[in-house]
Amino acid sequence: MATPVKMPRLGESVAEGTVANWLKKEGDWVERDESLAEIITDKINAELPSPVAGRLTKILVKADETVPVGVDIALIEENADVTASPPAEAAPGPDAAPVETPNQATIPVIEQRTVAPAGGNGASAVPQQARPERIGEEERQRISPLARRLAREHDIDLNAIAGTGIGGRVRRDDILAYIAARSQREPVTAAAAVTQAAAPARPAPPTPPPPAVPSAPSMKPEPAPAAPPAPTVAGEDEEVVTPSRMRLAIAEHMVRSKRTSPHATTVVEVDMTNIAKWLEKHKDEFKKREGYGISFVPFVMKAVCEGIRQVPLMNSSWTEDNKIIIKKRINLGIAVATDLGLVVPTIHDADQYTIAGLAKQVAAVAQRARANKLTIQDMQGSTFVVNNPGTFGTIISVPIINQPHAGILSMDAVVKRPVVIEDDAIAVRSMMYLCLSFDHRILDGAGAASFLQAVRTKLQSYGREIDVY
Amino acid sequence: MSEVTYLEAISQAIREEMRRDEAVFLLGEDVGTYGGAFKVSAGFLEEFGPERVIDTPMSEAAIIGSAVGAALMGMRPIAEMQFIDFIASGFDQIINMASKMYWRSGMPVPMVVRGPSGGGTKGGPFHSASPEAWFFHTPGIKVVVPATAYDAKGLLKAAIRDNNPVLYLEHKLLYRMPELREELPAEDYVVPIGKAVVRREGQDMTILTYGAMVHQSLKAAQTLEEEDDLEVEVLDLRSLAPLDREAILESVKRTNKVLIVHEDTLTGGIGAELAAILSEDLFEYLDGPITRVAAPDAPFPYAPPLEAAYLPDEEKILTAARKLAAY
Repeated sequence: MATPVKMPRLGESVAEGTVANWLKKEGDWVERDESLAEIITDKINAELPSPVAGRLTKILVKADETVPVGVDIALIEENADVTASPPAEAAPGPDAAPVETPNQATIPVIEQRTVAPAGGNGASAVPQQARPERIGEEERQRISPLARRLAREHDIDLNAIAGTGIGGRVRRDDILAYIAARSQREPVTAAAAVTQAAAPARPAPPTPPPPAVPSAPSMKPEPAPAAPPAPTVAGEDEEVVTPSRMRLAIAEHMVRSKRTSPHATTVVEVDMTNIAKWLEKHKDEFKKREGYGISFVPFVMKAVCEGIRQVPLMNSSWTEDNKIIIKKRINLGIAVATDLGLVVPTIHDADQYTIAGLAKQVAAVAQRARANKLTIQDMQGSTFVVNNPGTFGTIISVPIINQPHAGILSMDAVVKRPVVIEDDAIAVRSMMYLCLSFDHRILDGAGAASFLQAVRTKLQSYGREIDVY
Repeated sequence: MSEVTYLEAISQAIREEMRRDEAVFLLGEDVGTYGGAFKVSAGFLEEFGPERVIDTPMSEAAIIGSAVGAALMGMRPIAEMQFIDFIASGFDQIINMASKMYWRSGMPVPMVVRGPSGGGTKGGPFHSASPEAWFFHTPGIKVVVPATAYDAKGLLKAAIRDNNPVLYLEHKLLYRMPELREELPAEDYVVPIGKAVVRREGQDMTILTYGAMVHQSLKAAQTLEEEDDLEVEVLDLRSLAPLDREAILESVKRTNKVLIVHEDTLTGGIGAELAAILSEDLFEYLDGPITRVAAPDAPFPYAPPLEAAYLPDEEKILTAARKLAAY
């Protein structure tokens, strides 16, 4: 009996994943928990451990293909004895996996379903349209009967909804909130559709016929994804780039954040001279001793924890039913630039660490991020984000909130500037701007300013000797 | 008008009905000279005489059997079980005679079997029964369970005037409970059989319950409002056979979550039937599993700590309700 390997659910709201790479070939022997493949979702990249030990007899989903969560992507023969197994000779590489099995034919080509069509995706996809929807719904086990009915009546794709019940179950209130949110959105999409229709200037290729769901003449307004924009065509001196999934995820999040939270930004200037001097003196020795580096970042994180302690609203979320949830744990997201784009892994309970401890955590998540080894844990539960564009030399930034947080803090470059100090003397000091974007629904300028004051006071409280442990 | 207890309300109902209708009479163990084990019929013998207030031998089969015979002859007997547990000895007369008579021969059997049921009084395995499910299952019998003094009187009057055999289950824990004292209407009234009543309104969940558990459920609902910001509706079924399906479905359709609470044991209890009805009729209105809080499937214990562990109470209701709310 072959054991199927299924596309895992990497995160509660994730409905599908892409096989980035097969790390094993057909015919290879794998141990239990040995990595089989790299999986990419819009939330996280992860290696897929083998559920059993055995021989990988069949790869069902090729590299770069995307399938819904729960779909079989490979078969492993547990009892495959070595001699009886298919010859490994000319074992097909990951790209050559056979596509003929009936199962396979039903695997949708995702780019079509969630991600906006990047280009006419071949006619072969059309007849497959009916199935993926069903797989998606069956897969989504945790739905109350009422929620299921409401979703059907309101034409809602349940995979688009994050459940708030136990185990992520979708319940009545989730659907109602979604409907309310959608009805606010709807005029916008409708308007967009109109503009499109009224702009026939583009040499749009014949729009592919709508998916072959039998109800062709339905006049019902379809949910948003049903009105795809006309495909972009590169003009002269132009090049069309198809964004990566990560880029698309970031784009979606940024638009949603700006639409969700009324951003206000406020800036304070912090004298980092003592910290700068300490770093200058101890940085190399610290790294040699500890095996990881230290920078301004852990100092700022420490100070942010202090600020949150004084202004707990900074560590909260505005909910869809117009409540504010104050988070008791301080889990700081830290923005890390990687080759693929920006990721924001979480340092849980950041307030429980010393400065050195924070430096260690930052080094660890940054390393995992760059090596593409972030875990689901890393990507969940952050309550506030610290961003450090200063490493790129910027002096003032206006960050966009990482939803559903109340704020995000940007630390910009620490630069030496002549500053007027006590007794009107002028001195050269290491100065830094801290820019806080905050959700104006949750708090006002006064609250934001007192948070920044607390952060600044903490950062300026260090003397020449600093105990980072 | 003075406030009366649940027990006095029962007593009033019988007395008034006996005054109103000569066909009504009371029979049972110690109901006459002694005035009833709980003093429901204190003073009745003096007022109505030994022909209408009959002390019987210790035989429930004889008490119920005599009542069936009297009812067939046009009387309206009220047969008292000293403790409802003993109804088992008269089971045959109820199941094979009273319930089937009209079906079989077209002769109505207008009688009431009533008695103290329920636990919480440290009465042990023979004085704490909740026998409703045995009779609930049997076509041809009505089963009512009052939770307040008003209902105790109104439902008993309705039961006495009904032309079918009615099992009237009073809860002995409620008999003299001070907080159940209430002023009753001076004029004659009945509470119609087959009508539930909303004891507390809410949108987040419905508790379906009856008898003494109405009060535990109301306490839990209050706590859930204060501590969890949940508005819980409490529907007192009052009548188990027939059930007020309309009221049940209406409430659950609105709240989408339902908790069933009864003192009787779980398996094959009233809750099982309610769950089946809801699942059949309202499946797509349910936003969480139909949940039951009931006594465990074990005989009623004697030891006080075991009795406390055995009986459903506010705490157990809260636990179940919170789980259901979060589902």
